[in-house]
Amino acid sequence: MIEIERLSKRYGDTVVVDEVSMVIEEGTVAVVVGTSGAGKSTLLRMINRLIEPSSGRVLIDGQDTMAIPEDELRHRIGYVIQGYGLFPHRTVADNIATVPRLLGWDRKRIAARVEELLDLYQLDPAEFAGKYPHELSGGQQQRVGVARALAARPALLLMDEPFGALDPVIRAKAQDDLLAIQRRLGTTIVLVTHDMEEAFHLGDRIAVMDQARLLQYASPAELLMRPAEEFVERLVGTAERPFRLLSLARVQDALEPGTAEGEALSASTNLREALSRLIWSGREVLPVADAGGTVIGRVSVDRILRFGRSSA
Amino acid sequence: MNPTTFPGRALGEASSRPGLSVDRLGGVIAVLIGIAVFAAPFVTYRANRIVAGEARMLVEAVSPILAGAVLAAALLAAVAAVVVQQPWLRLGAAALGLMVVTPSVGAAAWFLTPPGNTFARISPALGFWLLALALGLLVADSLTRLRLGPWARLAALAVAAAFVALLVLSGAWNGLSILKEYATRADGFWREARQHLFLALGSLLAACLVGLPLGILCHRAPRLRAAILPVLSIVQTIPSIALFGILMVPLGYLAATVPLAAEVGIRGIGGAPALVALFLYSLLPIVGNTVVGLAQVPAAVVEAARGMGLSDRQRLTQIELPLALPVILTGIRIVLVQNLGLATVAALIGGGGFGTFVFQGIGQTAIDLVLLGAIPTVALAFTAAVILDAAIDLANGHD
Repeated sequence: MIEIERLSKRYGDTVVVDEVSMVIEEGTVAVVVGTSGAGKSTLLRMINRLIEPSSGRVLIDGQDTMAIPEDELRHRIGYVIQGYGLFPHRTVADNIATVPRLLGWDRKRIAARVEELLDLYQLDPAEFAGKYPHELSGGQQQRVGVARALAARPALLLMDEPFGALDPVIRAKAQDDLLAIQRRLGTTIVLVTHDMEEAFHLGDRIAVMDQARLLQYASPAELLMRPAEEFVERLVGTAERPFRLLSLARVQDALEPGTAEGEALSASTNLREALSRLIWSGREVLPVADAGGTVIGRVSVDRILRFGRSSA
Repeated sequence: MNPTTFPGRALGEASSRPGLSVDRLGGVIAVLIGIAVFAAPFVTYRANRIVAGEARMLVEAVSPILAGAVLAAALLAAVAAVVVQQPWLRLGAAALGLMVVTPSVGAAAWFLTPPGNTFARISPALGFWLLALALGLLVADSLTRLRLGPWARLAALAVAAAFVALLVLSGAWNGLSILKEYATRADGFWREARQHLFLALGSLLAACLVGLPLGILCHRAPRLRAAILPVLSIVQTIPSIALFGILMVPLGYLAATVPLAAEVGIRGIGGAPALVALFLYSLLPIVGNTVVGLAQVPAAVVEAARGMGLSDRQRLTQIELPLALPVILTGIRIVLVQNLGLATVAALIGGGGFGTFVFQGIGQTAIDLVLLGAIPTVALAFTAAVILDAAIDLANGHD
């Protein structure tokens, strides 16, 4: 658990982060959104003390970060930035091995860990371990960047616009991969982005920042239905609101008994996508199947619309 | 095949189409060769080492058979330069030319020296130098076109050095005036060679020991950089003779007042001011390139290194310095080549080095003595440049 208590950063008279307090539960993803210059990155960088706070404190599992030596603290926290900052003179394997080496792991253990992470990220170790960063595509560099951050099994991962340099198609895939790996490893993630779509897709909780202040820190649904300030309402997008709400719910939540004609939807599809498929297929109803492919019911346009209205 | 290589290949091959296309550099080389063999004297004959020389054309300078061989080899290289585009063939023609021309100038010395005469002096003249220059250009051009990697370039350098050593050690050139000058001062030659290397390499070493840390400090503290770099730039603009002169005063004072300084050889004249002056000239390229090299390390890389918990020292030694190394080596290359040349001037203030022969030769109007100092200097600078260029390529990760 990460507890941020009245954390502030001032440069002279300029306040960059103003008394921000928030709690990030173990194993969850907290996304910090806001316009550029809102203080998001500064907030993130105060967690691993790349920037020293002017006041306030950060507790990790109850321990004040100021009580831990700077370098040691950072060895325990994964860090991924936009552009990734892979070391151009080191191979993929050496890049990933950076923190384990600093921690003095033995060679065998490092090699095993590197291989495990490359496998996890669907990069064939035989092909990629010896490559240099400039030989990788943008998506591969991003995966190596995250693998490097996870190398020493940190309980906390800080990510600053980690998908910012990717094109939309690869970005969606990278986001899904991150979620899958996060669920599997149970890593706590604090992620900074200016992309609202990304925030709703990834965040268990979303923190909205503007002009150094934390305006609201809440679950995506709550943010949509009870925006604390006009700025939050504008940021989440009034016109987009019903669709965002639908994207937070799954087909399971609107399941009806019975079956229907057409290609089955997966039960874990979100309602927004289900609605889109219904509109595109020209049907009122589509069957729903579970992960094994067995039809377990159906979902209708009418039911999805009613679901959307009832939430509002 | 990678389609993106097509435009480059097409451009490169436009001039390589067989037939009438003429290589421009090759044309210049051919003209040089033509002038060298038909219109310029091959060697100079002098009755003794300081009288005015008489020019001897190629046909007068060597036996008819050898003259024919030189002519044939030179013309072959000229033709190859103009019409042959295959780099290995060009290189072969140029190398063959050099292998015939360079020993033949030694043969000219034996041919022209009257038997039993020890005063007559034979020196290479314009024709020989032009021929060597043209063939050297052709070799360099072919090597460039071959795009040799750093190791192959070092190997080519070793072959060239071995060839020159063979010419000198076999005695093929012993009849030439320059080697006669050498023969009368062999001990002094190697002493001055050591002194020359000591001045150039010693000042480089000192400049690295001071300049690298200073560059790192300048990188970390912009204010220090703003103060130091302009001062070093000004030092760089002081003419070398003036700087030697300026340094005589404080060093002379130091020697007079601090006995220990005098004991270790620090005096107003001699090696000490030369070494200090070369050291001062070396600082700007080393400090400047260290700062530039460190500054061009991508910000994201530095940020990632900090974020992963590399300490300041680990970041410097594992990330920043390795990435700045090619630029720092470029600075070292500049300094080494510059110092090997500048060290000649040290002779003016009694600092020794190859400059000793240059200035003695000027004083005695003995041009061959000047060359005895100048040629090794140029050869050293050239060798240093090739070796460090290869090192820079290797540091950049091209094998």
